[in-house]
Amino acid sequence: MSSTISLGTDEPTGTWGRVRRTASRRTEGRGIVLLTFIIIMVALLEPLALTAYEVTLGRIALIGIVALGLTAVILMGELDLSVASTLAVAGVIMASIPDLALGIVAALVAGLVVGVINAFFVAVIGINSFIATLGTLFALRGLAFVLSNEAPVSLANKDAGIAFGQPLVGPLTPRILIFILVFIAIQLFVSRVKTGREFFAVGGNRQAARDAGIPVNKRIFTGFMISGFVAALAGVINTLERTTADPTAGSTVLLASFAAAIIGGNYLKGGRGSIVGTLIGAASLGILQVALTISGVQVPIQQIYIGLILLLAVTTDPTSLRAVRGSLRTFRQSRMKTPDS
Amino acid sequence: MAQQTAPSEAETPTQSESSRLAGVLTWMSQNGIFIFTAILILFALIFVDGFGSLMNITDVFHRAAPIGIVAVGMTFVVISGNYLDLSVVAQVATSGVILIAVSNNYGLFPAILAALAAAMLFALVNGTAVGIFKANAVIVTLATTFIGLGLLRLFSGGSIFFGPPDGPVRTFGLGKIGPIPYSAIVLIIMTIVLGLILNRTNFGFLVRSFGVNESATRLGGTNTALVIIGAFLVTAVAAMIAGFVLAAFSNTAVSNDGVGYEFRALAAIIVGGTSVFGGRGSVYRTFLGVIFVSVLTNILVLSGISFGYQQVALGVLIVLAVSLDALARKVAQR
Repeated sequence: MSSTISLGTDEPTGTWGRVRRTASRRTEGRGIVLLTFIIIMVALLEPLALTAYEVTLGRIALIGIVALGLTAVILMGELDLSVASTLAVAGVIMASIPDLALGIVAALVAGLVVGVINAFFVAVIGINSFIATLGTLFALRGLAFVLSNEAPVSLANKDAGIAFGQPLVGPLTPRILIFILVFIAIQLFVSRVKTGREFFAVGGNRQAARDAGIPVNKRIFTGFMISGFVAALAGVINTLERTTADPTAGSTVLLASFAAAIIGGNYLKGGRGSIVGTLIGAASLGILQVALTISGVQVPIQQIYIGLILLLAVTTDPTSLRAVRGSLRTFRQSRMKTPDS
Repeated sequence: MAQQTAPSEAETPTQSESSRLAGVLTWMSQNGIFIFTAILILFALIFVDGFGSLMNITDVFHRAAPIGIVAVGMTFVVISGNYLDLSVVAQVATSGVILIAVSNNYGLFPAILAALAAAMLFALVNGTAVGIFKANAVIVTLATTFIGLGLLRLFSGGSIFFGPPDGPVRTFGLGKIGPIPYSAIVLIIMTIVLGLILNRTNFGFLVRSFGVNESATRLGGTNTALVIIGAFLVTAVAAMIAGFVLAAFSNTAVSNDGVGYEFRALAAIIVGGTSVFGGRGSVYRTFLGVIFVSVLTNILVLSGISFGYQQVALGVLIVLAVSLDALARKVAQR
């Protein structure tokens, strides 16, 4: 995060230079631009989405919590597509166990196990994480169907679920509080704890990290376990709030949580990014979704907007823009050379 | 396991032994599909009741055709080292809906043109984002899947479109030669044509070369962006034809027709021995992979195994097939 790398002798000086230096180190720029744009548009067109902030916060928490776990993996340059199914499996496991506390524990353990399985294929076998977690995405979706007999499972203890949906502190529901806690925990972990800070090193240059004595494979295990655990936690929260576990849950979360993490400036190749960025991304998408829902836009149509934002986010990160500039330059040079020859 | 790749790890017994192991693993991951398919079909013929019946074989072909057409097309994207094209889900549904909806109002030819335009748009967006912007193909196509499905839902209203009961689409969908439906013949033709394109043309060579080493291909003076757009175009056109075949078979089309196609097609490609690390693979082996996956699904269905278990089986199959490939690479590098 706030690493103090010396930029050499030509370090810009003065207040403006310091601002520029900080800005060049931060990755949240695009997220802040998007958030500002969305807040202005929503304030002008659908101010209800901002005034009814309890609803909006709930939506942000829904999108954001999975995205936070995902960020831990993305920082290492890996990807966890299986979060959507982990969420569903965890919910189904929790609802199938009559005892509430035991169910929650079992669901969270399941999330950790999924993380270990993913990490095993990525770190030990050496499969690309996109493909490995795509495999587990579908396998776990199948498992959710198998465990639930292809029908939503209702929670045995409905009262707990209803109580869970009520505001606990002020207007904040337990979902929002848990989201805030998870945010603080992961933020502290990747910025203040050695293990977490090493995620950036693993993502930046894996071989260099290995040579520096960082147990790279262990860190990959930690990262996938975090994302599995957080996805399972999201499944538990969903199940409590709805008092049923739907085996098809999470398919819309997949797109939104990826969009949140990527628009927040987390580089897919790893090494750069921030949890705060993910929060900004989740906030943008949450406000947008609530505003669209209030204006009566259906969910599949909302996905167009989120899809467009995701597409915009992956094509406007600095490496992409550099690649475009590079190919434009080659193109221009080849055009200039042609008349001579 | 942390020291898995540490240099201090004990050297393998002898160089030749390790390279022999690597050879066996590589051979298995590339050509194992011939043996596995043969064993699976033999197993099904002996142990699964009703597998060998003419009606069932036609059914297997009917189901294999659209998935197979997507798979042979998507092989290009996988070989080019870009993992996969998730947006085939949206592409198959879009072309099916366009075929039925537009041909109901304006005739068959405008419908095909409209579907082709949609396919080219998909290829252009995916190919530009991946080829020029160098964005991650999985994320790009995840985004275009939802954009495409959303737009399709917006324009179609999510309703089911029915073709006329005696139109040319219907005739094609029901037509067959012996037990082999027309759709399977389309698959075979597509396999041969795309196989020739991959193996015999300059474009096919560039796709493979890009998969092996991107920078070297670019430094060799190739416009790599065009190669990537081309690979996505092949996939998009194949997905379009798959959408036609699917719509013709049932004479209906709806916006969630393509669900699961990305996954089944990928399973077929990977089981067929095409490497997800790019550069190595073959359209013909993808065809065998399609047969394998379709026969496996058919066996599971005939044995009354539920949809959930089928999905688990295919997910595990993908991970195992890729593991084999990854292990072969790991041993070979040692």
